[in-house]
Amino acid sequence: MSTVQWLLMLHVTGAFFLVSGSVAAGVFNVLAARAERPSETALLLGLIRITVIAIGIGAAGTLIFGIWLWHEQGYGIGTFWIWAALVLWVIANALGGIGGKHQERTRKLAEQLAAAGDTKSEELRALLRDPRGNALSWLAGAATLAILVLMIWKPS
Amino acid sequence: MIAYSRPFWPLFLHVLGAMVLVGSVLVAVICSWVGWRRPAVPALARTAFWSLVAVGIPAYLVFRVAAQLIYNDEKDAFGGSDPTWIGIGYGVSEPGLLVLLAAIGFAYWWKKTGKPVAPRIVAGLSSLYLVLLAIAWLAMSGKWG
Repeated sequence: MSTVQWLLMLHVTGAFFLVSGSVAAGVFNVLAARAERPSETALLLGLIRITVIAIGIGAAGTLIFGIWLWHEQGYGIGTFWIWAALVLWVIANALGGIGGKHQERTRKLAEQLAAAGDTKSEELRALLRDPRGNALSWLAGAATLAILVLMIWKPS
Repeated sequence: MIAYSRPFWPLFLHVLGAMVLVGSVLVAVICSWVGWRRPAVPALARTAFWSLVAVGIPAYLVFRVAAQLIYNDEKDAFGGSDPTWIGIGYGVSEPGLLVLLAAIGFAYWWKKTGKPVAPRIVAGLSSLYLVLLAIAWLAMSGKWG
């Protein structure tokens, strides 16, 4: 295998960690919101922390091996789609981080309710349905998807 | 060169479908390993089952159909002898479907009965499938052989 093939394999592996980790976090988030009891909501939101490890490895891998590939494949310093992907990478990470804080706040409240009778409160329902908190996570996912589009399309 | 210069949509759908499939299997892996010690928690069984059925199966169909479209377009370029990475891709995707369906069946059994052995079988099958998918993405992205 050539250096480019190695780097591409590691870069794509990073992308698999990033996207599949995000998909897994999304599944846990959606099913946590639909759970009947706060204990179930807390459990499923807690499992998102495992997916965050995959997302972190993927985010670092795509960036490190992506920049290395940029150099190795001889793309120019002003290559539009690479810069656009880098900007989207920063946006996706920032939005994902803020959305994650919202989920963590929701999980802590669900844990408290689980310990005190395991009945949903209006506050928990409001947090689970909060359009701003959910929009941050979905927008982070959309930015990640846009990066994938750029990586495959490579518009000049 | 042909491996790196394909039309956008089939390759995009193939890669996206594969990544979403891996994500759905990752959910089943996490739920079933956590469920190993807590088999009677319905939320874990339900999440593993619905992740594989509602996310995994559609993602499998998208990635597999797109793969076939790409292969049909490009098979002549290989001169009748497919490279190793294509063989690995086929070798994982077709028997892998059986592993995926078996994992769904045992996840359904877990969801219905809460029996302690069910999450252990789901953990084994879904972890095996995740490893197979990882071998396939490494082979295809590194163009082995």
